[in-house]
Order: sequence, then C-alpha cells, then structure tokens
Amino acid sequence: MSMERRDLFKLAGVAAAAAVIPSVVVTSATAAEVANKASGKTIVIVGGGFGGLTMAKELKKKDKSIDVTLIEKKDIFMACPFSNTYLGGLKDVSLETLTHDYYAPASKHGYNFVQAEVTAIDRKAKSVTTTSGNFAYDILVLSPGIAYDYEGQFPEWDANKIASVAQACPAALMPGSEHLALKRQMVDMDDGDIVIVPPAAGKYRCPPAPYERAAMMAHYLKTEEIKGKVVVLDTRGGKFAKGAAFKESWADLYDGLIDYKGFTKVIDVDTAKKEITYLEFPDAATLEEGDADDAKKQTAKYEVCNLIPVNKCSPVTKMADIETNGAGYALMDGYSFRSKSDKNVYVVGDAVAHKIPPSGQTAIWGAKRAAGQIVAQLSGKADDPKAGLPAAAANVCYSMVGGAPEEAIMVTHEFSADASGVLKGKGHVPKPKDGNGKFRSKGTGKATREWFAGVKRELFM
Amino acid sequence: MERRSFLKLTGTSAAAIVIAPSLITQRLYADDGALYQTYEKIQLKDADGNPLKASTLTVEENYVFNFPHVATPSIMVDLGEATNKDVKLKADDGTEYIFKGGVGKKGSIVAYSAICPHQLTHPTPDDTFFQYLERKGKTLAMPDAKEAGVFLCSSHLSAFDPKDGGKRLSGPATEGLAQIVLEIDENDEIWAVGVLGPDRFHDYMDAFKPEFKKYYGNKRKAKKLVKTEAKVVTLKNFSKDIIQY
Ligand SMILES: Cc1cc2nc3c(=O)[nH]c(=O)nc-3n(C[C@H](O)[C@H](O)[C@H](O)COP(=O)(O)OP(=O)(O)OC[C@H]3O[C@@H](n4cnc5c(N)ncnc54)[C@H](O)[C@@H]3O)c2cc1C
Ligand code: FES
Repeated sequence: MSMERRDLFKLAGVAAAAAVIPSVVVTSATAAEVANKASGKTIVIVGGGFGGLTMAKELKKKDKSIDVTLIEKKDIFMACPFSNTYLGGLKDVSLETLTHDYYAPASKHGYNFVQAEVTAIDRKAKSVTTTSGNFAYDILVLSPGIAYDYEGQFPEWDANKIASVAQACPAALMPGSEHLALKRQMVDMDDGDIVIVPPAAGKYRCPPAPYERAAMMAHYLKTEEIKGKVVVLDTRGGKFAKGAAFKESWADLYDGLIDYKGFTKVIDVDTAKKEITYLEFPDAATLEEGDADDAKKQTAKYEVCNLIPVNKCSPVTKMADIETNGAGYALMDGYSFRSKSDKNVYVVGDAVAHKIPPSGQTAIWGAKRAAGQIVAQLSGKADDPKAGLPAAAANVCYSMVGGAPEEAIMVTHEFSADASGVLKGKGHVPKPKDGNGKFRSKGTGKATREWFAGVKRELFM
Repeated sequence: MERRSFLKLTGTSAAAIVIAPSLITQRLYADDGALYQTYEKIQLKDADGNPLKASTLTVEENYVFNFPHVATPSIMVDLGEATNKDVKLKADDGTEYIFKGGVGKKGSIVAYSAICPHQLTHPTPDDTFFQYLERKGKTLAMPDAKEAGVFLCSSHLSAFDPKDGGKRLSGPATEGLAQIVLEIDENDEIWAVGVLGPDRFHDYMDAFKPEFKKYYGNKRKAKKLVKTEAKVVTLKNFSKDIIQY
C-alpha cells in the first residue's frame, strides 16, 4: 500500500467524519473486512458519475438519516458532456472545466465516498465486494454507465489488437485518458485528416456526441490552419440525432471540411501505418445486407482516429445478476427505476433499458425520481412511478457546432409512460428565436456553457 | 465567524421561522408559515433615484433589483391581473409555507428571486436566461400551453407560476421560486421587506466567485446586504442579451 493511497483514504475519511451518521469508518485501506453493518437504511451506490452523484445527494437531501455510501473506481470526476469543446480548443475550456474532486459533495451532503472498484455483488447476502473490502446494503443503486463492445463489433480482433486500437484510436466516450490522448494527438498532428467513427449500431451514450465532435474538430482544423478534413465514417446515412441541424451547420460553417460518409463498415485499423480500412456501400439496404461485393473497399490515411465502438452496458449489471436485455442494460419494474428482478436494487443513468436517451441530464432526472422511489420504499409509502408524466422538456441537450462565434443547436425530449410499459422519450429539434431561421444561434451557444456550468453546480453543490 | 453570521442572515435552513412585525403595516409575518425571513426594508427607486410608484409600472414588464444581497437579483412584475391568495406551497425538505398574494390595488404586483432553484441560473449584466414571459409569449418549456405568463428559466426550461407564489409548473426544477415580499405604502411607493420560501442564496454565494469578482469586486462585497434602497431597472437595461426559449 503506497503512502499516497493511504493519504487519499485519510482524505476520504474527512468526508465520512462530516456525515451525520458515519457508517463506514475507513480506518485503513488494507482492512479488507471493513464490512459495515446495514442499518435498515443503508444504501450503497455503485458509480460516481451523473446518476450516482445525483442519487447520493438526493437521498441525503430527502432524509438525513439514510446511510449513503458512494463507491467509485476513479479518483477524480471528469465530465464527458462539454468535452468536445475542450477537443475543439474553445476559449477558457480546460481540464479544470471538466473535472472536480469527489470530496466536496460528500462532505457537504454527508455521505461516504469510497474510492474502490466494485468486483462482485452478492444479492443474497446483500453485499458488494470491492478492492477495498465488502459493503453491506439494504438497498443497492447501480449507476455504472457503459462499456465498449469491441469484441462484438470486431470478432476477428484478439485482445492485443483491441488494446492497441483502443489506445491508439481512443473512443473518448468514457472520460479520462481517452480524452487526454485524443487531445494530445490533435495538438501533435501534422497536416492530414481526422477520422471519426460513430458507434456502428445500437444504443450508445449521447447520440449527438460524435457529430458535435466532428464540428468541434473541424473548428480546430480551421483555427489551427491545418490542411486536412474531418472524415466521418457512419452507418446512419445522415439519419442521426439532430441530423438536419448538424448538416446545416456543417455546410454553413465548415464548407468542405467535414466529409460525411453515411454507409460504411470499418473492418480494420493499422495503428502503425495510421490507416483505416472500410467498406463503402451505396445505400442503407446494401449496408444492412453487408455483402462485401456490393461495397467498395477503401483505405484512408489518418493523423488522428477516434474510433467509437458499439456500446454495451457496464459489466456491473451482470455482476448483480439482474435481468437485462441483450446488451446488458437493466430491465426495470414498469415505469420505475427498480430492477425487474429485485425490489432492493435500483438502476439509473445509461445502464437502464428504458427508451429514454442516454444522457447526463436524463441520468440526473432519473436519479431524482429513483431517489423518491427509494425513500418511499424505506418509509413503506406507495410511490406512483408515473407521477409527473408526461414531463415536457425533461431532457434538453445542446451541441456546440461553432467556435467563433460560439453557436449551438438544441433538442428537447418529452418523457412519458409508453404503452409498451417503459419510459419513452420523444425528441423535438427547434429553431431558436435568435437563429434567423437557422437551427443554430449564439444564444444556444451561451446556453450550452450555462447548461454545463449548471450541471456542475447540480452535482457538486 | 463571517460564514456563521452569513448563515444566520440568509437562514437557508428550515428553522427560519421569524416573527417580525412589518414596519409599514405592523402585520405579523409568522402566519405566513416557516421559511420566512425579514431583512432591512428597502425602498425601490427608479434610475433617477426617485421612489418608484406602484401605479406607474408597465404591466408585464420585467423590473430587476438586487435584494436582499448586493448580488442577488430579483424580478418584480405587475401581472395586470390579481394573483391567487393564501396558496400553500412545499419546499423540497417538506417545509410548508403560504403565499399571501400579490400587492397593489389589484393585488397583481409580485416579485421573486431571479435565481433559478434548479441550478441557479440568473440574470447577469451580460445575459439572462431567466425572466418573466408575458402571457402572449411562447416557450418550449410548455409547448402545449395556450398562454405563458410564467417566470421562465431557459437554461433547462423550468417554468414557475407567479400567481401561485412561484410554484413550479414544469421543467427540472423541483421547488418553487423564493418570493420577495413587497409592501406598498400610502404614497404608492414600493418596499421590499423579506423573502418567503426556500431561497438558494447560500449556494449562490458559493457558486459564482469569478462572476462576483467581475461585477462586484469580490464575494464579500457581493454578499453584503442591500441597505435603505435598491435601484430598479428593466431587464432590457439590466442584461445585454435576453435569451428565451
Ligand atoms: C462526448 C460526450 C458528450 C456528451 N454530451 C452530453 C450532453 O451535452 N448532455 C448530456 O446530458 N449528456 C451528455 N453526454 C452523456 C453523459 O455523459 C452520460 O449520459 C452520463 O455520464 C451517464 O451517467 P451515468 O451515471 O449513467 O454514467 P457515468 O457518468 O459514466 O458514471 C458511471 C461511473 O461508474 C463508475 N464505475 C463503473 N464501473 C465501476 C465499478 N465496477 N466500480 C466502481 N465504479 C465503477 C465509472 O468510473 C463512472 O464514474 C455526453 C457524453 C459524451 C461521451
Ligand atoms: S437552472 Fe433553471 S432550469 Fe435549470
């Protein structure tokens, strides 16, 4: 156990000491058996991202006597939202903009923050195993986010190949080194192209993110006067989130700088030669059939490659052995955020199988509802999971498309209780009043910054 | 020490039940329920420093003044129609409080803290996402509503009903707005006397240090309480850019 790590625990201990009823006294990191005792109101949250941080705070706000422990494997919080403006080099956006310490909210609201990785969950024993001991719970909340499915998308790649591609062509859909690596590559790049590969299929984190990234990277090429373009190798034939609004902005702001190919299938990346090989199909139908004879095989050189694989749910839902869909997303009990399999397990954020867009704002919205459901369960009260539905503008999502001046586009989602028995979102992409008939405007650009600043206040104040 | 006295003054806690007679009406405010906090009463003045008269307010115009702190913006509106009376509201922590109604001849004048209870968005001299939206306005926050007439935060589209004590109507906010309690004296002059409902002044003071530096010098100056009088300007003159969706 290095000194550093021990210091860290000491710091975490400060937070625990500030709790109204400190439950987990983390005296030493080596004490693998620090099993706390479940008090009847002990809640363990796995994952300190958007969903988990909101949940921890909301539970304490609603009932101070609930004993809350948040377990997060990372030492620093970093946001994925707004990170594209960092890649684009927008003014005053630094790593500090995107990051925060975990101790402040824990000490302010009086929950325990434990930095450890969850490795197993035993629902029978109501216990969570981590790299720093076991934690007993009465109610378990999972907000572990996503994982990448390189194996499913590229079955012919072995583990070494996957590791080398993941590091050489970082996906940057999970915050951390991936973003830093991508930024470093952009700063270091010579003239040449940036290739972006959005997830080829299925549900993935923040549907507009790859297309916002294309705009921000094009902005970077333009301001740095790099001779090259942004090549987007997509499968969606232009039918992606806020598609019309993105295409209008790309054409107006980055004429010729964004080369969008809508019907492609990536088959290989040579990270040594910096080459990506893909099949280019003529239309959606042939892409769907996937017969290579219909396609042109292309190999493109890149300077920077952002290959975002198909997403799946974080393996934590599997550890908990709760019912999931094929991609690992947790199936819910009706319109609630309670697991279909266990009344003492709740799931929030991107890990839920509800048909609402996987976004940070949705994670916050869901965590607040789930916190209400948990508090009701603890006090033996009924909670109507349909309360407040439909919720107009439950999700508002901005994408920065311009850097000088800053301009953005927006989408709002109404969430409702769908007849199929799950929550569902319906999107609406408005033209803002100050956009002179365009989808983008300077006001929405300001709103994008305000949105992010607000989210940080939400999570950390 | 400083921090402690600040807490006492803003009284964000549910314990802020104050029995304080108004200096003008001698009314006891304790019957407004918990979450009522009196401050030194402040006279609202126009740009020239003359007392603002209630009957000269333009209906549905946004009037901004800072109260109770030097850096906490409030918005006053003459709705043109009477508000509801004795509206019972509930804060997130379960504390109940009662909105007595608007003031003025028609009972149509209200003021609210312009700090959005969701994530603290508020008007600044540069821009604002927060405002009262006139009845004939349109907002994405309430796409199906026939008319607006709401306090609106366009940051994440929360709407609040000024006729119901600032109660949340839609959007991600969970609580209502804090009401700035006004009184109108026999000369038709307007005074701000207190704050009713869950205010977010404490979090606000923690959240915007760089902004306070830019506009007010520093946080210490920003959190000083307003004394004697407050200057009222229309929102158009307060913020360079009004952004509304
Ligand atoms: C580029 C980009 C732009 C985006 N833009 C927006 C936007 O503009 N608006 C918006 O609303 N959303 C946006 N999002 C989406 C948003 O980031 C996610 O939807 C949100 O983070 C989901 O929250 P979550 O709690 O489910 O997961 P996360 O925030 O990812 O949190 C999960 C946490 O769990 C931890 N964890 C996982 N496994 C374990 C384990 N075994 N033990 C301990 N801890 C574990 C992880 O370290 C992580 O911190 C964007 C995403 C990206 C990538
Ligand atoms: S800050 Fe006002 S709605 Fe979010």
